[in-house]
Amino acid sequence: MGGANIDLLLVGVSHKTAPVAVRERLAVEPDAIPAALAELTGLAAVREAAMISTCNRVELYVAADDADRAAAGLGEVLARRAGVAVADLAEHLYQHRDAGAVRHLFRVASSLDSLVVGEPQILGQTKQAYDAAVQNGTAGSVLRTCFEEGAFRVARRVRRETAIARNPVSVSSVAVEFARQVVGDFAKKRVLIVGAGKMSELAARTLRTHGATLTVINRTRARAEEMAPRFGAEVADWNDLPGALTAADIVIASTGAQRPVLSLDLIKQVRKQRRGRPLCLIDIGVPRDVEPEAGKVADIYLYDIDALQAQASEHRAEREEEAAEAEAVVEEELARFVKRWRSRQLGPMVSALQAHFHGIARAEVQRVSGGVDEKERKARLDMAESLIKKLLHFPMTAMREADPDEVLSMVQAVQRLFSLSPMAAVAEPEQAPAGNKKATGS
Amino acid sequence: MSTLTWHAVGAYAIAAALYLAHIVGLRRGAENAGRALLAVGVALHFADIGVRCYHGTNPISSTPEAMSLAAFLIGAVFLLTSLRYQLTAAGAFAVPAVVALILLARLAPMETAGLTPVPVPEIGRLGQAHILLATLGVAVFAFAAVLAIVYLFQDRSLKRKQLDRVVARGTPLETLDRLAHRCVSIGFPVFTLAIVTGAIWVARLGLLHGRGTLRPEYLIAVGTWIAFAVLIIARVGAGWRGRRAAWLTLGGFGGTALVVAAYFIRHAV
Repeated sequence: MGGANIDLLLVGVSHKTAPVAVRERLAVEPDAIPAALAELTGLAAVREAAMISTCNRVELYVAADDADRAAAGLGEVLARRAGVAVADLAEHLYQHRDAGAVRHLFRVASSLDSLVVGEPQILGQTKQAYDAAVQNGTAGSVLRTCFEEGAFRVARRVRRETAIARNPVSVSSVAVEFARQVVGDFAKKRVLIVGAGKMSELAARTLRTHGATLTVINRTRARAEEMAPRFGAEVADWNDLPGALTAADIVIASTGAQRPVLSLDLIKQVRKQRRGRPLCLIDIGVPRDVEPEAGKVADIYLYDIDALQAQASEHRAEREEEAAEAEAVVEEELARFVKRWRSRQLGPMVSALQAHFHGIARAEVQRVSGGVDEKERKARLDMAESLIKKLLHFPMTAMREADPDEVLSMVQAVQRLFSLSPMAAVAEPEQAPAGNKKATGS
Repeated sequence: MSTLTWHAVGAYAIAAALYLAHIVGLRRGAENAGRALLAVGVALHFADIGVRCYHGTNPISSTPEAMSLAAFLIGAVFLLTSLRYQLTAAGAFAVPAVVALILLARLAPMETAGLTPVPVPEIGRLGQAHILLATLGVAVFAFAAVLAIVYLFQDRSLKRKQLDRVVARGTPLETLDRLAHRCVSIGFPVFTLAIVTGAIWVARLGLLHGRGTLRPEYLIAVGTWIAFAVLIIARVGAGWRGRRAAWLTLGGFGGTALVVAAYFIRHAV
């Protein structure tokens, strides 16, 4: 798909090419983005620039007149930022050009290049990167076309048509999904955190973001009281464990105790008090905190760490399978994108050529029509224009159907043969954002 | 069957196939298409009932007509509920049930033989009220039964820790339980009124025509009413919900279905 003449250049590092020690030095804080974009568009060959900076990648997307010169400049900017020599950074850098850069952008936005394939954050981060470029006046027609008409559309299609992001792949998100399928919306649900360890805290944070009301219970009350304020939880007394279990909809247990703290007898006793309300028990403790037989009790749904991990692994494998389908969507969209891009390149040239010939026809008809009536003059003009249309038909068709690699040379040949304006023939019809001199293609 | 009926059946059938395809994982994203086709089916079915009314066939003039009305109500209630709740799995049961009911109603011998249903004025106002209330009650109980079936499948998948299957079905247990209870709470007073009006109607017919025989379907109907009454009292009094409530809902609906089947066999075949 090379040779599509999309003057997009990408230079960057990701989790696949650089260790975190390198990535963290290259990462750009949100409030430093405007200055970074200005630095990029300050480079001689760069017209437009956008920057994706996440914990897993730093990528610079630029529209460049001279890709080699721009790539060298971008490499220097990154090396300066990392505080290393260009040569030292080079082993971590990758670059893509033309349709290759567009393909990479499509894959990034669709989460196919992510550490966890299918993770949803990257599309939002890509949108933020593009929005920052628009707000800072460094996005022009090339970036707008590649991001808005390309990457975002492809990402939406991949999510819609494949199951790449359907099922959760982390243990905590699998636990949240199980709980959601038992009790529904978390907004008015009570979550009981049994144990005040690190794992409990992580789970509590996840559920807190979903709007659940939290209660912490721990043998050592002081530890529960220390943990609770960090996410607005209440504290219950250990002696009131049966009461707290009765009131809860979801229980997350991770105590570090050597024997199950939630015995089968306790669960049976609690179940009677719950009057048929389902209870979701998430046991992330090792050794386990809930007696395994409790899962067999009616209306009690028990998920231990093995069940959660097995489900997460299964989902990860499913995502890998779905990724192949998603790659096919990316390739299909890339082919469509390149075709659209070419027709846009050809459009102004075709118009210029037609205008040139029709102008000659009108002038010649005017020259030889002195003294004839209007009807005769119109008939001559119609004949001349019809002749030109037929003469131009085959060259136009040949150009539209030309191999991507041939298009630019054909456009240049036509311009030269008929003395057409180069700008009229190759410029994009739409204008870059106002106030952005760099992005107008000047 | 009229062309309009066939078109309604066609739309329902494709919708049913899409819902089934979605839950068995054959076709992703089929739910929206299924819902759109169901809406088309409901609209065509409504038009079909309207056209038949215009030509003098009242939807409560015979058991097959009432079954067609019940099918329409099930389809419409499911459609409206699915706009608010994710009920893909329920669609895989409810929409095929609609197809089966409408086909039974429209292909019943009385219908295919072109026999004229009983003129509504002959049934009397009490009879009309009874048939209409019974039809409404059956439709609402049928929907509750669909939700109960989905609850039991969902419960089994969650107990077996099969998240994929659960997510594919998409409705949390508590939501299913709450919706089924709401249906039973709405259906029960309607069905109670249907039984009361039916009893008075039958008593009057007995006095007028000497047809006072106690038929089995009357007893089944009373048994069904008792089952739903127990369910409601047990839920309020003893907190019965979840699996037990789902099974009792299915039992109650089974009784309702037997009553409908008895009427259908007696009056249509």
